[in-house]
Amino acid sequence: MGNFAQLVILGLLAGGVYVAVGVGFGLVWGVLNIVNLSHGALVIVGAYITWQLFTAFHLDPFLTLPVDALILFALGYAIQRGVINRVIRAPLLFTFLLTFGINLIVINVLLLLFKSDFRSVTPSYSGSGIELGPVVVSYTRLAALAVAILLAAGLAFVLNRTRTGLAIQAVGADRDAAQLVGIDLRHTYALTFAIGAACAGVAGGLISLIQAVTPTAGEPYTLQAFVVVILGGLGRVSATVLGGLLFGLIEVFAQSIPGSGSVYANAIAFGLLVLVLVVRPQGLIGRLR
Amino acid sequence: MRTRLVLFALAAVVTFACGGASSGGGSTTTGDAITFGAPLGLTGSLTKESTLTQQGYDLWVDWVNKQGGITINGVKHPVKIIYHDDTSNSNQSAVLMQKLITEEKVNFLLGPYGSAATATDAAIAEQNQVPMVEANGAAQAIFNQGYKYTFGVLSPANKYLQGVVDMAATLSPKPTTIAMLSADDNFSVEVADSINQYAPTKGFQVVLYKKYKSGATNLVAEVQAAKASNADILLNSGHLQEAIAINKAAKEQKLNAKIAAYSVGPSTPDFISALGKDADYVYDGSQWTPQVKYTPSFFLSVKDYVAAYKAKYPGQGDPDYHVAESTAACLAFQRAIENAKSTDPKKVRDALAKLDVMTFFGQIKFDSRGINIYKPMVVEQIQAGVHHTVYPPSVADVTAKFPTPSWDQR
Repeated sequence: MGNFAQLVILGLLAGGVYVAVGVGFGLVWGVLNIVNLSHGALVIVGAYITWQLFTAFHLDPFLTLPVDALILFALGYAIQRGVINRVIRAPLLFTFLLTFGINLIVINVLLLLFKSDFRSVTPSYSGSGIELGPVVVSYTRLAALAVAILLAAGLAFVLNRTRTGLAIQAVGADRDAAQLVGIDLRHTYALTFAIGAACAGVAGGLISLIQAVTPTAGEPYTLQAFVVVILGGLGRVSATVLGGLLFGLIEVFAQSIPGSGSVYANAIAFGLLVLVLVVRPQGLIGRLR
Repeated sequence: MRTRLVLFALAAVVTFACGGASSGGGSTTTGDAITFGAPLGLTGSLTKESTLTQQGYDLWVDWVNKQGGITINGVKHPVKIIYHDDTSNSNQSAVLMQKLITEEKVNFLLGPYGSAATATDAAIAEQNQVPMVEANGAAQAIFNQGYKYTFGVLSPANKYLQGVVDMAATLSPKPTTIAMLSADDNFSVEVADSINQYAPTKGFQVVLYKKYKSGATNLVAEVQAAKASNADILLNSGHLQEAIAINKAAKEQKLNAKIAAYSVGPSTPDFISALGKDADYVYDGSQWTPQVKYTPSFFLSVKDYVAAYKAKYPGQGDPDYHVAESTAACLAFQRAIENAKSTDPKKVRDALAKLDVMTFFGQIKFDSRGINIYKPMVVEQIQAGVHHTVYPPSVADVTAKFPTPSWDQR
């Protein structure tokens, strides 16, 4: 029983990272209709910024998160405004290829800057936690989950309660109509991508705390973001939160199948994804488009 | 115009004079360059390990060319290695191997990084009957195909963690139970399976054997299973990234094993820089450490090798075993070419099969399958942020700090 409770906790905590990775990806996909294949690479850029600030200035990794967000916001804005906007109305395959190319460029720039060494942020308090009977809750992971939820809540607030957010949603709903009512499309696109990238940066900062990072470490996160967003459903931040937490739980429970069960953890997660797509194509709580 | 002509004539005379002097000078002459080809993952997921491999190869090239090259029948042949980037993709590695052989006409092949790429490349070497000496593919599956042209200088996979088990058997109070977490790739499974068979013969019980997807980033459930098994010894057969993730999760989830040992990872400087103090007390099986005490019959001593590495690659600490084994592959080639007195691929292949030489890396001798089962593995432990060799006692520089204190007491 203690073990079961511990697995639930571990799953939810792992899910926190997936929420952070998923929200930015879901926003860009939902509004711009771009499946951003460079999302994982942007996550890793965030991880390196946190690592750099931690090693060079001994800055607490959680305090570096706003820096991650700001730098990635600027980078994301530049990428969308300067590059992706040019093919935004082209078929999906074009943006697919383009973001794949950006992914390669970002990875190789990181390789040039940081080499392929494995980096990780290990502050003095890493690994400490609360023990509730047999259940251990790590402070770092708990804080990471809290940050992820706050990030999602902040994003939901911006999207639903601010003019900019409403403009972004309007563009997502109908870009031509949005343009007719005077929304600056190119700016709004760039802003959306920038917010998505900023979320990726924060996710990267969190990831640098729990695993070793190399320039290529982002690839699995693109895939996981994809699954998380489909699982929850497009078009709603809360759906991504649900998808992320669920994905964490599924992964942890699949991995704890005795014997070689965890080899199939991915297969189980993707199997569920297919099931969700068949039964509820809009995701668990997504909006139909 | 005239001055230019005069200068040109002068230059021509000088060139001819010098050329004549060098070829007529010493008793040894310079022959054609011997070229080696190696596909390496200079980009992609194996960049780190591939770069270490390249450093090992290049250290030898520098040294041997400083001597004038490899001597065959009194003629010195300088050496050259052609590298290609296989983007850490084993299929691409095989394509590049073929290109090296047919287009660039290299004389010999040096291995890529990793068991997967080595396995695909071995098939190419065999088809073309060009000898390949490899230093970074330890899976025995490579050597069980009946290949005649592939040789591995490193101890095979089944030996990787056996040293840790042997060491544990000498400790007191003796730990008795083992939890094994293994990645599901060929090499890691071989390491883990061999422990499953070997540990009971030494009086240990494997209470958990769990495989996970190679390259997994989230291993909390595996660590939880190991914790629930309450084993004395935590063994991981995987890769650097997984080793770091497991070590972090073990601390978070308060998995207090008396011994935590990893097949791959802790020997690299990255493990210590990524984990800081949390890297202390960790053990790993290593092909080689800078502390080993072998007396080589040629090339550099262990001490000089470490010094040569630090001079060429400053700021990177001691060479780790990936570097050393890669240099050792080159040494095997050098000695075999010298023994064969030829660069004929068949003759060099036969000389490799008969090779028995002591180097700074240990004994290099191949069994009938082409793998070096004669060199022992050593056990390393990280103590206060520094790698130390703790087993076997004949090469150890310190004793193991055992048992590992619980996370709360560090």
